[in-house]
Amino acid sequence: MSIQEQYKKRVREILSSGAVKMVIGYQAGTTADRRRPLFIRTPEEAEKLVLDSACIANLSGYLVTEGLLSDEKSVGIFLRPDGIRSINILAAEAQLNPEQVVILGFDGNEKEVTALQGEKAKDFTAIIASIKEHAPSAPRNPQLEQIEKMSPKERFEFWQAEFSRCIKCYACRQACPMCYCRRCIVDSNQPQWVNTSSHTLGNLEWNVVRAFHLSGRCVGCGNCDRACPVNIPLRLINAKMAGEVLGAFDHFAGMSETQEPVLASFKKDDSETFIL
Amino acid sequence: MPQCPMHRSISSFILKDCIMAKIGVFICHCGENIGAKVDCTKLAATMGEHPGVAIAVDYKYFCSDPGQESVKRAIRENNLTGVVVAACSPRMHEATFRKACAEAGLNPYMCEIANIREQCSWVHNDPVMATEKAADITRSMVEKVKRNNNLQPIEVPVTRRALVIGGGIAGIQAALDIANAGQEVVLVEREPTLGGHMAQLSETFPTLDCSQCIMTPRMVEAAQHPKIRLLTYAEVVGVDGYIGNFHVKVKMKARYVDTESCTGCGDCITKCPNKKISSEFDCGLGKRPAIYTPFAQSVPNKPIIDKANCTYFKNGKCKVCVKVCQLNSINFEMQDEFIDLEIGAIVVATGFQVQDNSVYGEYGYGKYKDIINGLQFERLASASGPTSGKILRPSDGKEPETIVFIQCAGSRDPSKGVRYCSKICCMYTAKHAMLYAHKVHGGKSNIFYMDIRAAGKGYDEFTRRAIEDDEASYLRGRVSKVWEENGKLMVRGVDTLLGKPVVIAADMVVLATAMVSQPDAKDFAKTIGIGYDEYGFFNEAHLKLRPVESSTAGIFLAGACQSPKDIPDSVAQASASASKILALFSKEKLEREPVVATNNEATCAGCWGCVLACPYNAIDKKDILDRSGKVIKRVASVNPGLCQGCGTCVSFCRSNSLDLAGFTEKQIFAEVMGL
Repeated sequence: MSIQEQYKKRVREILSSGAVKMVIGYQAGTTADRRRPLFIRTPEEAEKLVLDSACIANLSGYLVTEGLLSDEKSVGIFLRPDGIRSINILAAEAQLNPEQVVILGFDGNEKEVTALQGEKAKDFTAIIASIKEHAPSAPRNPQLEQIEKMSPKERFEFWQAEFSRCIKCYACRQACPMCYCRRCIVDSNQPQWVNTSSHTLGNLEWNVVRAFHLSGRCVGCGNCDRACPVNIPLRLINAKMAGEVLGAFDHFAGMSETQEPVLASFKKDDSETFIL
Repeated sequence: MPQCPMHRSISSFILKDCIMAKIGVFICHCGENIGAKVDCTKLAATMGEHPGVAIAVDYKYFCSDPGQESVKRAIRENNLTGVVVAACSPRMHEATFRKACAEAGLNPYMCEIANIREQCSWVHNDPVMATEKAADITRSMVEKVKRNNNLQPIEVPVTRRALVIGGGIAGIQAALDIANAGQEVVLVEREPTLGGHMAQLSETFPTLDCSQCIMTPRMVEAAQHPKIRLLTYAEVVGVDGYIGNFHVKVKMKARYVDTESCTGCGDCITKCPNKKISSEFDCGLGKRPAIYTPFAQSVPNKPIIDKANCTYFKNGKCKVCVKVCQLNSINFEMQDEFIDLEIGAIVVATGFQVQDNSVYGEYGYGKYKDIINGLQFERLASASGPTSGKILRPSDGKEPETIVFIQCAGSRDPSKGVRYCSKICCMYTAKHAMLYAHKVHGGKSNIFYMDIRAAGKGYDEFTRRAIEDDEASYLRGRVSKVWEENGKLMVRGVDTLLGKPVVIAADMVVLATAMVSQPDAKDFAKTIGIGYDEYGFFNEAHLKLRPVESSTAGIFLAGACQSPKDIPDSVAQASASASKILALFSKEKLEREPVVATNNEATCAGCWGCVLACPYNAIDKKDILDRSGKVIKRVASVNPGLCQGCGTCVSFCRSNSLDLAGFTEKQIFAEVMGL
């Protein structure tokens, strides 16, 4: 039985047993290589489920939809390891109770996907730990390496050029599982820290604010990158920041449900390269 | 109406702030300090043009009595709604001017300081540019003040109990001064006895009175004082809270001896079979058993067991001390205990250490037994020391005929030691030479020095006595190498006054080692929440005007934990700290600045980043309930009694829900845009 059929069976099981009230998965999209989210509420609807290598979106953001988990019932969700890390972060930031999340884990490359054993976020601790272990030696994005070789001036100009295309649609924010605030800082206008119009300064402000808000929280799922209608390589900024917090504080986002947010916690042995 | 540069694109209700505003701008010359670089008259004219400014004037010294009076008069005559004083740092005179404003009927928090001295005139040379910058700084504060709100001080109760950390002379003095005024004191010392470094000294300069003779009565007085609770062999491991209301956690390290029943008879000490342990108190020159008191006059005079060296703890066999103790005071099962204290104010008097001389390989410290440091010489010269006060060589126990003293072994040496002067070494080296001359007649002392720094009452007279009466030979120059040859220590140096290299054959070499901070000083500073400098010495709030306060309200400094100090200075600072604390305890309630954070519960996402980030544990989780009592959401809630207004939560909050009174986002934004 293919992994897709296995998981269809499992979805039907957990829905009919009442273990979960809903399963969030993938269904066929507008083109052959696109998938769109599927919200399965009855065992019959499981037939629409698609699970293959084109299922790349991180669905965890749907869990923090206002009121979804407030009835204390469980929800099943298809997640790759990066999505499971998002669950850990959302749990650590008190946005959800991980006991309510039944994970249907999978992983794979461009060709095929395989199932991951486990049900609750904590069952995947070993898998995430091994990803962290391999993080420093993992093949790096060639574009990121190229940017790092630039002089500060060249780099600034590169990003200015990229951000100049930004139309302030905030699709990156909407797609990001970490952007769960009820009111985003850009929507606060007393005072208006981030300029709303899409000119150079406002674009720079917005993207820098987002990079900082994601430092130590981004799992690199790429949702923002794919959502961007003008193809700004947003993932590179977040990957860079993730590397910085890993190097400076040995912090790898989403290791566990109790991991302290790196920018909110203080340890005596934190490196202080800029404060005496 | 003149157009405000802020309001090209801002909505009308902010405009209201500006139309209603009547700001007074007072530009201080600070004598020449500001006036020499900034054209204050021109600045006043510029500011007078700024929208919302009702009056802008300059004056020689606004902090003076007539200066303050003119501010008050201007407030009354012009019905000012806000005041900006362009002068020195707010750390100097913010309180002064806020008080003046309050006396004129204005809410004190409607007064702001524009710092055009430290941040402008002192750091710039070009008067034209400096004047422009001063205008920018002042304008930015005017824009802020327009958005200031009336704030009311917060009253908090004061716990009238002081904590003194460190039981050396500074800590003892502070504890006694506070206790003698009738207030409770908890005195915490991490060693098994009170006394600190002063108890190790032989005689003290400049009077040569015996250190123990003046120290031990103080130790006993502190231990027996009804208002002092003494906790020895104990460490402060956590400090929470704020001025008037600190919560302190103290670890009572296991002594393995029950101090209640122990009478200090000393039988266990005499009978302990393991007597070959290097004595910390004698700086390695003497030995002690595994169950010991550091010295005979220890307070409390009850022994402790050195777990690392005790035969029973190592092998599970021995227990000789248990057998000889007639009161069953030995308890190998004893565990560390933690006690919680409610404290109103803290004196930090954690003292110093001597630098490790092994960084000077060329001086041979650690390689040759007869090269010792100044503190070790104190132990040799002390009547209670390992040689009963005789100056004898550690290697063979012979009396040295020639001693070379090397001053600044570590001090004033940025390459290997420390950049600062350790302050006490010139004096104690002169003292060592005198003690040596008194104890070993005919002994020859040679002192290599850089400068003789003997400022202090009776100090220069003292060093002169060492030279003139006790024939200490001072050679101005540095030592390059010490080596052994035919049983002598050969000291090669230079006498710069003669311009010649010299080699002296000595029997003993004494290094005047630098005074350094405690090795764990930086960690400790973080534990209790005070600042420190690059060397690990604790920072005072203001070097000249607030030398005994730390930058954290309610925590004071005494003694060498702040900077190298001798005994008179340490005692003086301890008494000063005590007087500050007594002033604090003289009030029932304490007025606190109302600069506290508030949370917008409607926008709070409940991520609890602020709860973790808050250094004062001032943020709690609060449930928002619906009518049926069901939790709708959980948000952060700031306890204004605990909040210190540091702003850490505000800068952390991603949804911008937290704001700080007196430094609201609106104010800061206006300040930035006003630049």
